[in-house]
Amino acid sequence: MIKTTKLTKYYNKNARGILDVTLDIKKGEIFGFIGPNGAGKSTTVRTILNLIFPTSGKATVNGLDCVTDSVEIRDLVGYIPGEVHFYGDMIVSEFLEYAAKFTNRPYKKRQAELIEKLELDVSRKIEDLSLGNKKKVAIVQALQTSPKILILDEPTSGLDPLMQNTFFTIIKEEKKQGTTIFFSSHILKEVQEICDRVGIIKEGRLIQVETVEEIMQARAKRVRIKTSDTIKETDVFVDVIKNNGYMSFVYTGKINDLLQKLEKIDLQDLTITEPSLEEIFMHYYEREETK
Amino acid sequence: MRNLIYAEFKRNFRSLLLWTAIIVGLAGLMLIMFPAFEDVFSNIEDLLAAYPAEFLEVFGMGEGGLDMSNIYGWFGIEGYLFVTLIGGSYAAILGSSILSKEEDEHTIEFLLAKPISRTKILVGKCVVILLNLIIMNLVVSIILLIAFSVYGDLNIVVWLLYSFAPLLLQLYLAALALLASIFVTKSRKVISISLGLAIGLYVIMIISDLTDKAEFLKYITPYEYVNAKDIVTNHMIRPLYLGIALSVITVSVLTTWQLYKRKDITV
Repeated sequence: MIKTTKLTKYYNKNARGILDVTLDIKKGEIFGFIGPNGAGKSTTVRTILNLIFPTSGKATVNGLDCVTDSVEIRDLVGYIPGEVHFYGDMIVSEFLEYAAKFTNRPYKKRQAELIEKLELDVSRKIEDLSLGNKKKVAIVQALQTSPKILILDEPTSGLDPLMQNTFFTIIKEEKKQGTTIFFSSHILKEVQEICDRVGIIKEGRLIQVETVEEIMQARAKRVRIKTSDTIKETDVFVDVIKNNGYMSFVYTGKINDLLQKLEKIDLQDLTITEPSLEEIFMHYYEREETK
Repeated sequence: MRNLIYAEFKRNFRSLLLWTAIIVGLAGLMLIMFPAFEDVFSNIEDLLAAYPAEFLEVFGMGEGGLDMSNIYGWFGIEGYLFVTLIGGSYAAILGSSILSKEEDEHTIEFLLAKPISRTKILVGKCVVILLNLIIMNLVVSIILLIAFSVYGDLNIVVWLLYSFAPLLLQLYLAALALLASIFVTKSRKVISISLGLAIGLYVIMIISDLTDKAEFLKYITPYEYVNAKDIVTNHMIRPLYLGIALSVITVSVLTTWQLYKRKDITV
């Protein structure tokens, strides 16, 4: 549904863009796009929406080219920008009408549903709203015309935890309707919660694309042990963190190999848990750096 | 596009009212003062002879110039300046801010995510510029119609020229300012550039009037294109000036369009 091929945006020597980003987001999936601030998430999104032009490479949405068919693409897409800047002097309801009328699709019913779910006061001026409320306006304006594709750039920033949950419920409903969702975030927990697949971007390059399950289960365990033996860093014991007599590390090999190694040391305590996506993320990052 | 035009018009309406009120207020005040000076100026030829010719030229009172004992001459010298200079400043500010404001306030990220082409955005905004300037000059034309009818014999051609010749000047300034705003989008700088353009070109007109050596300058300042002397004495805007003005407007808008279509919007 959203496809980029060696997409590259080069600004200048000081501002890094993106380099050779190749992505293929399937219809109906929620694709998480994670990386720290400045990694190139927004640049990718803005190139797809044609706010900026690619230096080389190509991006298509539903087979439409992001440069030549931009208007058609934007008719398919609902976009929540990372930082919300709307017309301050407009009343929320007036602004939502304005936003809806760029398309010819019906929106009244969906708009009312979203306003109710998000408990948004539409009678106020946009400039008087808190960051969280502005974010709600951003959500409604993007979703009210029921677009087939959603591009969300850090959509939960500014929302309180309760509203974040409401938002995730809305997004899960959208997925049930068959909406394709591109979810850019630097918060791994939320990506872990709702995404099917995850792309990790670092310094403008896409370094990994995998399903959340693959990342979470097949690859890595967080192992925490207590022992009086001295342990040398080997294939198994990498990046060991020592804390209060405990040692902990992320293990990505075969479980049997791990057990054989552990057998040979004097264990006083052992826990093996699923690491958080954050830990795995750091793991991928470090591995990239040593390459 | 109608959606955009309507919202944009509404957004700019208050400032249109304010600028129109200032122009109408100042020009109106001058028009009202006319009866008090009418008689004085019938005998003023002797007095004016005491001033240097260059001084009189600047104020349109030089040889073959305007006669202040008549309402058209009086307005040309005392009131027209407000319509051209203040109206021109408004036009320049409007032209330069209408596109750049979206970038400066980052609302462009919202607008360009909607299914509307950059061409339509630009056309919509140009329509709003045109609409606002027409409204402003229409209001001025009503005041002039009343004043000219009350204080003299209404000459339709002179009235229409006084009312709508400034539109040519305003569009010229708005078009140049619009083009400049492709390169500069920070609002404070945008305002400086607009006012610099509107006032700078006025100063150039004064210089071109003052000395024969700088006479060529009159071709580059739109204030000269719509000067009161041509309106009152010759009942026209000179075809050459009209041609230059329309060319500058067209080229500026087309260049803006080409640049805007390809511009990276970095917000």
